[in-house]
Amino acid sequence: MEVTMDPLFLAWSYSRRRKLQQCSDICTKILQDNPYDQAAWSLKTRALTEMVYIDEIEVDQEGIAEMMLDESSIAQVARPGTSLRLPGTSQGGGPTPAVRPMTQSGRPITGFVRPSTQSGRPGTMEQAIKTPRTASTARPVTSASGRFIRLGTASMLTNPEGPFINLSRLNLAKYSQKPSLSRTLFEYIFHHENDVKNALDLAAQATEHAQFKDWWWKVQLGKCYYRLGLYREAEKQFRSALNHQEVVDTYLYLSKVYQRLDQPITALNLFKQGLDHFPGEVTLLTGIARIHEEMNNISSATEYYKDVLKQDNTHVEAIACIGSNHFYTDQPEIALRFYRRLLQMGVYNCQLYNNLGLCCFYAQQYDMTLSSFERALALVDNDEEMADVWYNIGHVAVGIGDLTLAYQCFKLALAFNNDHAEAYNNLAVLELRKGRIEQSKAFLQTAASLAPHMYEPHFNLSILSEKIGDLQSSYTAAQKSEDAFPEHVDTQQLLKQLRQHFAVL
Amino acid sequence: MPEVKSIFREVLPKQGQLSMEDVPTMVLCKPKLLPLKSVTLEKLEKMQMEAQEAVKQQELAMKEQSQ
Repeated sequence: MEVTMDPLFLAWSYSRRRKLQQCSDICTKILQDNPYDQAAWSLKTRALTEMVYIDEIEVDQEGIAEMMLDESSIAQVARPGTSLRLPGTSQGGGPTPAVRPMTQSGRPITGFVRPSTQSGRPGTMEQAIKTPRTASTARPVTSASGRFIRLGTASMLTNPEGPFINLSRLNLAKYSQKPSLSRTLFEYIFHHENDVKNALDLAAQATEHAQFKDWWWKVQLGKCYYRLGLYREAEKQFRSALNHQEVVDTYLYLSKVYQRLDQPITALNLFKQGLDHFPGEVTLLTGIARIHEEMNNISSATEYYKDVLKQDNTHVEAIACIGSNHFYTDQPEIALRFYRRLLQMGVYNCQLYNNLGLCCFYAQQYDMTLSSFERALALVDNDEEMADVWYNIGHVAVGIGDLTLAYQCFKLALAFNNDHAEAYNNLAVLELRKGRIEQSKAFLQTAASLAPHMYEPHFNLSILSEKIGDLQSSYTAAQKSEDAFPEHVDTQQLLKQLRQHFAVL
Repeated sequence: MPEVKSIFREVLPKQGQLSMEDVPTMVLCKPKLLPLKSVTLEKLEKMQMEAQEAVKQQELAMKEQSQ
């Protein structure tokens, strides 16, 4: 006779081995036989939650609505150095746009993207709507909950017999009395169903049942308030949770609240407080570094990333950020060492090989350049990445003087991503070398309209217009270039020259 | 090839200032290091792709049923 394993034990074992679908299937069978089996019910909620679980600390998406109808910020025009929204006020002597490309929101591109760095803050409504939708630039979502709702409905669609737990028929008061069930149920409602209102109800009743002494429920309440956009209430809950129990996560959640309220200095102080209790904690150090980076203070961000690496020398984000910083401060050979370290650690993707290729080329290790780019092309996931890789190969081609190849590369970049403003600009420069003025002008105008935050297309257009004698449009283009990059010397000279011209007339 | 004697003599000034006109040139956009993606972001994107696929397949199945 075959000995069968106890189904619940088997399900538990599946769950530990992260075979969540099998685990949930077995639990479903157990529940069909006995709908009141609490252990199976709890295990299934956990399995379903784990399937769609994403780290709440990392998730931070600001939609257009949140950005434009923001009432929580204290000052509309903040003093320099106290706001995340004025990226132009660099104090750390970071690289200028002349050496380091900018994102839509006016920050230098970072070495690492997280969900929150994707949605930079556009300055105006018009800019917010026009923002191109690529992974590397700012990407607005119509509402912060958009992505969550889409995931939630999709998980329901795949269940033909409807959702596992019918939230509207659930007696939350009953469940909030049972500490063993209420927590898994809360996580299920919050992560799987994305029903923040019901989750908030449950958490409020449970924290009442725990006589307001349980820090865990307070953190969950804070998470719900944060999702609902009630930042001050969230702050209160997190603060109160910290009074009960010092937990690293709570510090991170609280700092998220302060960053959303645009108080980076408070967030920094909070991290330092956290570091007093948890010396050398990597996530706190990373948090400090991220804030410095977002405030355009690259040099101190790098210092903190180095501190992170002293604690954890396999921290991908820190290595990538330091590496990209070295690359853009004219030390590609050191950047190459950082990226090689990532490769040693087992990071294997298109972005890394692309960066390796660029570093190799600028560090004069020509033997590795093209093979790195070949690998990058082989590992590409989507068209935007493909366009970026071809764009960078185009730079290598320019570097070795093969302008035909460069021309083809930039054309390919445009074939894969029709909104690639940098490729348009570089193509315009190549076209002008060939003497095709009209074509060049058209490309520059396209680039300028696609990416008004870059100074290059405006500046080039200004030079081109000046050469063909169209001084008025040269002047307007130069002014736009000055807006994008006020310290650019060539733009200022050009403007001065043009003003003299106009004065003479 | 016979050397053509030029009537102009080249002049190389030994003293005085050397001046050069600074002609503005077009600038290229800079090479772009691609940022690596965080684990959370990769998971989010993967989940979104899978969800979209699932919805697409269900819609296909629905269409086939109705036909």
